Amino acid sequence: MLSQTVVNRLKEIVGEKNVVTDKVGLLTYGYDGTLLSGEALGVVSPHTTEEVVEIVKLMNEHNIKLVPRGAGTNESGGTIPTQDSVVISFTKMTKIHEIDTENFVAVVEPGVINFDLQVELEKQNCYFPPDPSSYKASTIGGNVGECSGGPKCFKYGVTRDYILGLEVVLPNGKVIQTGGRNFQSEPAYDLTRIIVGAEGTLGLVTKVFVRIIPLPRAKKTMLAIYDKVEDASQTVADIVAAGIIPTTLELMDNLLINTTEDFSHAGLPRDAGAVLIIEVDGYPEDMDPQVKTISEICNKIAKEFKIAQSAAEVDQIWTSRRCAFGSVARVRPSYGVNDITVPRSNFPKAIQGVLKVAKEYGVTIGVVAHAGDGNLHPLVLFDQRNKEEVETVHAAEKALCMMALDLDGTVSGEHGIGLVKKKYLDSEFTPAAMGAFRKIKRSFDPSNRFNPGKVFEL
Amino acid sequence: MSNVNISKLKAIVGDNNVIDSPSEMAKYLKGQGKPAVVVLPGNTSEVSNIVKLANEQNVKIAVGGAGVGTKGLSGGIAMVMSRMNRILEMDHLNLVAYVEPGLLHKEFLLKVGEAGLNFPPEPYEVETSSIGGCFSIGDSDSKSFEYGPTRTFLLGFEMVLPTGEILEIGNKCIKNVSGLDFIHFAVGSQGTFGIFTKLLVKLLPAQEAKRAVIGTFTSIHKANATFNTLIKRNIQPTRMNLLNASLAQNAIPGTEGQLVIIDLQGFKESGKNIANEIAAVLTLGGGTDVKIIEDEVEYDQVVNGWLKVRADLNGKPERTVEFLVGPAKMPQALTQLEALTGDLGTYPGVVVEGLLGYVCLALPEGTDKLALAAKVNRLAMSLGGNVKGLLGHKLKSEAYNDAEMWQQTVGLLQELRQQFDPKGILSPGVSLEA
Ligand SMILES: Cc1cc2nc3c(=O)[nH]c(=O)nc-3n(C[C@H](O)[C@H](O)[C@H](O)COP(=O)(O)OP(=O)(O)OC[C@H]3O[C@@H](n4cnc5c(N)ncnc54)[C@H](O)[C@@H]3O)c2cc1C
Ligand SMILES: Cc1cc2nc3c(=O)[nH]c(=O)nc-3n(C[C@H](O)[C@H](O)[C@H](O)COP(=O)(O)OP(=O)(O)OC[C@H]3O[C@@H](n4cnc5c(N)ncnc54)[C@H](O)[C@@H]3O)c2cc1C
Repeated sequence: MLSQTVVNRLKEIVGEKNVVTDKVGLLTYGYDGTLLSGEALGVVSPHTTEEVVEIVKLMNEHNIKLVPRGAGTNESGGTIPTQDSVVISFTKMTKIHEIDTENFVAVVEPGVINFDLQVELEKQNCYFPPDPSSYKASTIGGNVGECSGGPKCFKYGVTRDYILGLEVVLPNGKVIQTGGRNFQSEPAYDLTRIIVGAEGTLGLVTKVFVRIIPLPRAKKTMLAIYDKVEDASQTVADIVAAGIIPTTLELMDNLLINTTEDFSHAGLPRDAGAVLIIEVDGYPEDMDPQVKTISEICNKIAKEFKIAQSAAEVDQIWTSRRCAFGSVARVRPSYGVNDITVPRSNFPKAIQGVLKVAKEYGVTIGVVAHAGDGNLHPLVLFDQRNKEEVETVHAAEKALCMMALDLDGTVSGEHGIGLVKKKYLDSEFTPAAMGAFRKIKRSFDPSNRFNPGKVFEL
Repeated sequence: MSNVNISKLKAIVGDNNVIDSPSEMAKYLKGQGKPAVVVLPGNTSEVSNIVKLANEQNVKIAVGGAGVGTKGLSGGIAMVMSRMNRILEMDHLNLVAYVEPGLLHKEFLLKVGEAGLNFPPEPYEVETSSIGGCFSIGDSDSKSFEYGPTRTFLLGFEMVLPTGEILEIGNKCIKNVSGLDFIHFAVGSQGTFGIFTKLLVKLLPAQEAKRAVIGTFTSIHKANATFNTLIKRNIQPTRMNLLNASLAQNAIPGTEGQLVIIDLQGFKESGKNIANEIAAVLTLGGGTDVKIIEDEVEYDQVVNGWLKVRADLNGKPERTVEFLVGPAKMPQALTQLEALTGDLGTYPGVVVEGLLGYVCLALPEGTDKLALAAKVNRLAMSLGGNVKGLLGHKLKSEAYNDAEMWQQTVGLLQELRQQFDPKGILSPGVSLEA
């Protein structure tokens, strides 16, 4: 429990309403996108960098740890309060300081919802390419924390590629600025890059300089339907070999086709093995030749191929994909999301691997994948109330991670490590690499004050 | 003097690969420092053993691809990576390559081109830069608006740490957020975290179409104004660069006036229209000799001319000041700059990278670089920008009168370096003080 002195001081810093210490209030901050939970000593929601600094100093005086939190949508337990900590929630820092389209930069506070930023940018014909499927809820600070990806990564990259600079409150309560409004303002070491994806373990992000770019002038959306997942993988390989870089190559397997059909009635054939959504963007003149090449490739092996002719048809194609995660809830009440990633050439083997794991463990697994990136989301379906089943699911998820590592991949392509995948880190990294992580953590946070126990043990 | 044990070094890499006669060493060395020996390792374990030996004997090591900078290296070991110059794998399915660090950047570009692929980062120095050096320096170049800075193209590496330990990290996945991002953090660390011994590099499909539009202007301001027009018209080419009259002749011999080079890579079908639109904007903006270049040989001449100018500037960092203000603020920046520099058209050197809002000034003989940089930084800050890199951070902290921020930043950099290299063995020439 927090002492009354600390609570009072916190209330002085951020105002009465922005400190939560009651049981019910704390409960909501004890969860994230995983099955894990914890209980914080308190939750505090600052409005400014100065308030963040004051909070950090106060916590240091009392030797209390801090767990940073955005919208809490992460899928890895990164915001679960552990080790007697206070949650610092950034949901009150929601100012968009500046949008400067002519200089291709926007400056925002960490609590800004990705979607809210996109809406403002679109009014000025620009956008921020990282768009995790959770973009309607997740915050820019959280996107930075996880280095989130989205459906457009194949062409446009991930959050890392669009962060120009950060204002950061260090564990000692001091403020630094990394980078700036352009690519060339890092102070010798690329400090921005090490904080992006560090899951709040190195510093608290209080301001973000994001790179924005003009919306593409033209876009074409296509849908290919296959008998077998392997055929879809072949299309992906062929498109890459043809020298085309689509923005999107999203795949759903038979199980997901059926669950999404139950939900959205988009008209996908229920007996299909896989569907692939393909999107290209760029100058209008460059669209037709690319679409032509892609049609030729798809028509060779796809059972059906269509090119969206209107915005409505584009929407229809995307409807299934958008409801993919939610749709499986009709089959079983719970699902575990994984984000294993393998080199693109091993994608077919990874799909085989998923089937094998499903069979071996007797669990139902559906697959949504960013196929161009080799990034799979095997959704393991189960019932959370059934303890035994939960154990089996954990075992199956471990098997999925090990399978990805065997295929020269990684246990996390976009969701991060947090608490959930921490146990696999020694299998992915050599002791020397783990040593490098610890050296970095020690440089920033020698007393292990920020998000302790996440990603790896110091 | 030096503690370097030459016979132990010879035992590691073989007699032929240890050079300690000053006359033979010279061709591998840059600068005034006097290392005791040049050593050319042939593989990772040799690199590791050399570093371990240096630790035992407490001597410093600096690394280079073909040649080594000798600053702070007196009595130490100059490690030349040129024997480790193989492409170990070129993987078309995953669009990646495993490369050894001593391969020259220009050779790698040739091989990548032959394979029908594209590696966007440009060599720092055309003739001598290595792939290890490319990622060691990191940075961006004038194509980065389209392709992203150098770090975008690194997916993993093998590195010998300052203790001699070998670290491997990364894989062929283009998406990977596992652990901390040491992969990209190492880019730009200038050999202070370790010596790259293998790089896993990301590639792209080759650009099928390449075009350039060039034109000359009597006024640098008019030339730059065309960039703003293009951005307002929502045209983002691969790069748009401006070289002032003094540099223009070095890029394309015989050029008179301020030279604009606009590069269009990709844009297979649209390129013709875009090039025409750009040419019209340049002409309307006062450009003469505006020309669309589609011929491959001529295109390469233009790009190589630019690379040569860039390398000349990179080779003398003590004689340049670099700053950024963003493209939209560039007209004001150039106008205000003339109060400090006089006529920019005839200044020893001015480069504007239009899409990045970047300027590099080559200073006249006898200029006090730091004094000018401080003034330039104040100017840039008033337009939302700053001087580049670590120096920029120092000047910004000074301008804000925020000594604490500077101390924190430098303190953090030094702590990181110290954690990796507690004995201070590697890259003695690199300063984190600005
Ligand atoms: C339905 C659904 C779909 C999803 N789709 C995707 C997807 O397509 N791609 C993808 O990559 N992810 C996806 N995710 C995962 C998740 O949404 C992202 O990781 C998202 O970026 C997290 O944002 P958040 O605001 O919820 O952050 P949180 O979950 O609150 O925090 C994420 C991490 O960042 C840290 N953090 C938060 N704010 C700060 C700050 N200001 N300073 C320092 N550290 C901070 C936290 O401590 C934590 O470690 C999805 C999740 C769901 C539930
Ligand atoms: C701050 C600074 C000051 C300079 N001062 C001078 C000067 O006074 N005189 C001059 O002529 N030039 C100077 N230069 C330019 C410099 O000497 C080189 O010309 C430039 O760095 C390119 O080097 P290179 O062509 O030899 O490339 P490379 O040999 O590829 O080396 C580039 C950089 O990468 C490092 N590096 C190379 N290989 C590896 C590896 N495998 N692992 C880790 N690190 C590696 C090197 O130590 C070097 O710092 C300076 C550069 C900088 C950045």
